[in-house]
Amino acid sequence: MILAYDLRLVSVCLAFFFLAHTALGLIVSWLALRAVRLAARLRPASAARLLLTLRFLPAGLALFGVAVLCVPSYLKFELDAGMEDVGLAWLAVASLGLTIWVVSIARGVTGAARSLRYLRRQRHSGREMRLSEGLPVWVIEAATPLCALSGVLHPRLVVSRCVLRALSDEELAAALRHERAHLDARDNLKRLCLLMAPGVAPLHGGFAFLEHHWARFAEFAADDRAVAGDAERSLSLAAALVQVARLGSGNWTALETRLCADGRDLEERVDRLLQLAPPVDRNRHGQAVWWCGAAVGACLLALLLRPASLYAVHRAIERLMH
Amino acid sequence: MYSKGLASPMAFRKQHAAEPLGPLEITVMEILWAHGESNVHDVMQRLDRPLAYTTVMTTLDRLFKKGLLDRRKSERAFFYLPILSRPKWEQKRAGEFVAGFLNGSEPSGEMLLSCLVDAVGSYDEALLDELERKIRRKRRELRSKA
Repeated sequence: MILAYDLRLVSVCLAFFFLAHTALGLIVSWLALRAVRLAARLRPASAARLLLTLRFLPAGLALFGVAVLCVPSYLKFELDAGMEDVGLAWLAVASLGLTIWVVSIARGVTGAARSLRYLRRQRHSGREMRLSEGLPVWVIEAATPLCALSGVLHPRLVVSRCVLRALSDEELAAALRHERAHLDARDNLKRLCLLMAPGVAPLHGGFAFLEHHWARFAEFAADDRAVAGDAERSLSLAAALVQVARLGSGNWTALETRLCADGRDLEERVDRLLQLAPPVDRNRHGQAVWWCGAAVGACLLALLLRPASLYAVHRAIERLMH
Repeated sequence: MYSKGLASPMAFRKQHAAEPLGPLEITVMEILWAHGESNVHDVMQRLDRPLAYTTVMTTLDRLFKKGLLDRRKSERAFFYLPILSRPKWEQKRAGEFVAGFLNGSEPSGEMLLSCLVDAVGSYDEALLDELERKIRRKRRELRSKA
């Protein structure tokens, strides 16, 4: 197929992204179990950060490659500014690159729209109240037991009347502190980013394992933050978790963070809270590792930006394209 | 610390296919495949972490209701046995996974999250009772120390 200069650039970016992202995605999927085991030795907040970084790494690095290698090499070395023939295989790869972005963005937009609709519905049916610690909370009359943080840009704490009735004052305060911790950690925004981050292949996530464990550690981190090392608060939060789980659950949107977001982890969370002491961060060299990584990345970038490297990339793309 | 009973990505994908199995259910199935017919005490002894009798009993009962185990009563205890061998079960699950994928029923992010929450509703009362007992015990300990 014959394409103009600009369209060729678009196809080069999409195909490069797809190839780099798929390769990196497979490596990350392969490393996922090891990463989760490593994360289990860290503090929950650090563990959640590590898994989230790993989840976004393929897309981040692939985009970085497009911006730093692909586009500069094309603009510098693609001399033929007119029409040029492009192979069908290359176009197919570029189409796959386009598809994974379209699917991811559609997933994110759908999730955000559902969340917004849900918040609007709550605004009509709910009533804003100030419960423990002066936090503004929407109390809704739904039959579904709900104690959640809903929304992305202006997240709201939402509690249904049946939860208010079931929890004691201390339990309710602990539950709200837990949701407040999600608010401070911007967990709903991270959920939106997860929805919008491309999967390994179109229509197939491939990172569900990492995402599940990120959510698990995010819950642990919110528990620790809500409890702040206080034994009474720990017990109150544990009791609140069991009470809400007992009330059951119904449908919910993607962009809300619930008190019992994953029932399977409930037992583990209660056991952690009953230990009454937050796990110790054994990774004392975390910052040093980050700085070393940044230094290695900077050296790699300097090497990649050499004209010889850009020319090699351009030659490789040309060969694949035709 | 939290890695006990951690399901591998492959096991994770399987448990999120048509009929989800929790990490503990997978561990229990593996014990039964390895050691054959067992009762609750046998399974408890072979677990890599101490769990309450009721938790293990409920897990075995859930697996029985899902049609993965057969059971017989001997004196006052139930003995459980896997209905399918491990290779046959894996073959069945792989088939379901591929069929789901081809039918486009692989859950999107939103659907996946919705499914995870549904699991809360399926919590059995025995486990919640056990957790409440633990909390009460801990509260008493704390008060007696104070």
